[in-house]
Amino acid sequence: MISLQNINKVYRTKTIETLALNEINLEVSEGEFLSIMGPSGCGKSTLLNIIGLIDEPSSGNITIANQTVNGYNSKDMAHFRNEKLGFIFQSFHLINDLSVIDNVELPLLYRKSVSASERRRLAEEALLKVGLKNRMSHFPAQLSGGQKQRVAIARAIVGKPNIILADEPTGNLDSAMGNEIMNILLQLNQEEKTTIVMVTHDESMARKTNRLVRLFDGAQVS
Amino acid sequence: MLKNYFKLAIKVLGRRKFFTFVSLFGISFTLMILMLITAFLQTELGSDAPMTEKDNLVYLPAISIKRAVKDTVVERDTSYQEGIMIVDSTVTYPERINSHSRSNPSYYFVNKYGRDVVPAKNYSIYNNSSYDFFLNSKKLTFRALLTDERFWEIYDFSFVEGQAYRKTQVDNGEAIVVLTQKACRQYFGQESGVIGKEVVFEGQTYTVSGVIKDPKSFHVYVNAEAYIPYTNLPPAVLGGTGLMDGFEVVYQAHTPADIPKIKKELEHRANLFEEFRDDYATYNRLEMMSYTFRERYADNLYDEDDDPAQNLKTVQWLLIFLLSLFVILPVLNLVNLNISRIMERSSEIGVRKAFGAHSSNILFQFVFENVILTFIGGLIGFILAIGMIKLINESHVLYETTLGFNFKIFFYSFLICLFFGVLSGLLPAYKMSKVHIVNALKQNQR
Repeated sequence: MISLQNINKVYRTKTIETLALNEINLEVSEGEFLSIMGPSGCGKSTLLNIIGLIDEPSSGNITIANQTVNGYNSKDMAHFRNEKLGFIFQSFHLINDLSVIDNVELPLLYRKSVSASERRRLAEEALLKVGLKNRMSHFPAQLSGGQKQRVAIARAIVGKPNIILADEPTGNLDSAMGNEIMNILLQLNQEEKTTIVMVTHDESMARKTNRLVRLFDGAQVS
Repeated sequence: MLKNYFKLAIKVLGRRKFFTFVSLFGISFTLMILMLITAFLQTELGSDAPMTEKDNLVYLPAISIKRAVKDTVVERDTSYQEGIMIVDSTVTYPERINSHSRSNPSYYFVNKYGRDVVPAKNYSIYNNSSYDFFLNSKKLTFRALLTDERFWEIYDFSFVEGQAYRKTQVDNGEAIVVLTQKACRQYFGQESGVIGKEVVFEGQTYTVSGVIKDPKSFHVYVNAEAYIPYTNLPPAVLGGTGLMDGFEVVYQAHTPADIPKIKKELEHRANLFEEFRDDYATYNRLEMMSYTFRERYADNLYDEDDDPAQNLKTVQWLLIFLLSLFVILPVLNLVNLNISRIMERSSEIGVRKAFGAHSSNILFQFVFENVILTFIGGLIGFILAIGMIKLINESHVLYETTLGFNFKIFFYSFLICLFFGVLSGLLPAYKMSKVHIVNALKQNQR
């Protein structure tokens, strides 16, 4: 499903060159739940962003869902992200001025083929999956942290993407809420066969996934 | 998608009350000022009655006599050739006006040289005057226009009762007067039912022959309280043979294209100056100061140049500059506000882009929000403009000038605001739409 070959990421300033990712080679199978761990600043999020096409590698090849995406322009990438990828962020990134249902509908706004009624139906279906259908008219400020992250999951799955990329999805939550979110992700992986790549600091969460990849100073160590 | 953007726009505007207030104030106030200025210009320069023929009119309000002399100017150009100084002198004789006098022409002059200018369809000779008189121990002043009968053919005044004076009445010097409704109210305490009644101005009795609606415009060429046949002027005025006195002539062309021909014909007639040479021995040139309606209006505001067309251009540019300032300053303010408003929403931009929004989607969303804002501002500006126009008209702050609301002008003003509204949103939105997703998500995380 995901194939990274010789991925390097270098941040350059006038005086310093920092190697954020060093020759990363990674294969993720379809339906796999992979977690990435490592100390802060080791390049976990950078790697996830590169898989998610929201950051570009300095060198290396990326193949996602059998498509080599290296030569994509920004419009192709936006289209690809919309169709194939779903994102969950540590700090939720919900739009506070929009209701829960409008937040969930957001990825579908950029699909011309989906009508307004279809958008609404899919968003309600996604909210049902995360157990928040009764909160669809609420606004993010009226929700708890766990509920916000569940809305974020609904937003990530509403477009039925092949891959979900989660950047420390439980990082801002207490353990109970964290477990709740993890269970939803596991359920998605097992029942819907969605491929998930998750960055986490939490060893116990990582152990629940199919495979664990560790990074250290930008290099893959296991 | 539009519904989603609309909902978001309304929410954002409601949440950021101060920003919304400042933006709406800027848009609506700009629109109101634009409307007031254009309403004023429309009244002053537009074709409302009685000035429906204004684009076909040429005025001869003044003549100018000048003494032109030749100046001797020597220019020396020094150069060196093989070490030897060579002086090259150029002598020119430019013309210089060393004395000039400008005034209204006399009746004698306009009667003899101002009539029957062939390219003109019609013309009218008139004299500006004013009468002081006492009524119930209160001093009143009426502006009076002493005109011929053709005056009523050129300007389309609206008669409330009675009629304009005819050629025979002018030729016979009948003591009759046409009053405005305001004048009737002041003099008789009633606006109509005064035909045949008498008014006394400076010892002379006139019979009211007609009453007209108050002219909306304050132009001196049409605005007065009393209109009297010019033949009522004293014999000394009508019988003199001098060059200058208080008369003016207005010519009506068939079409605006005939105006240059009328002006040229007037220039040609200026060559007849020889007749007055003995009276004005120190002068050697006479110029007919002819103006189109707009040129004359501009000349009242700015007359630095001898050429009325040039003065009109200067006034027009000045007006455009001032109007631009009225529009550009709020726009710059809006750009500034929009930058901070959009910067605050970088996380939203990051999320939208991550989930498939292209830069053009982001650009469209923020521009759409600005369009919504401009529409609301436009609506408020519309209400403010109507209110202000009503207030100005009722308070008579501009004297007799009555402003009217012009929907066409409002439409254009609104388009201007919309254009700048879009522009003010476009620049910051464009900047933000290009921000890298990772950087956008890092800022003001929620």
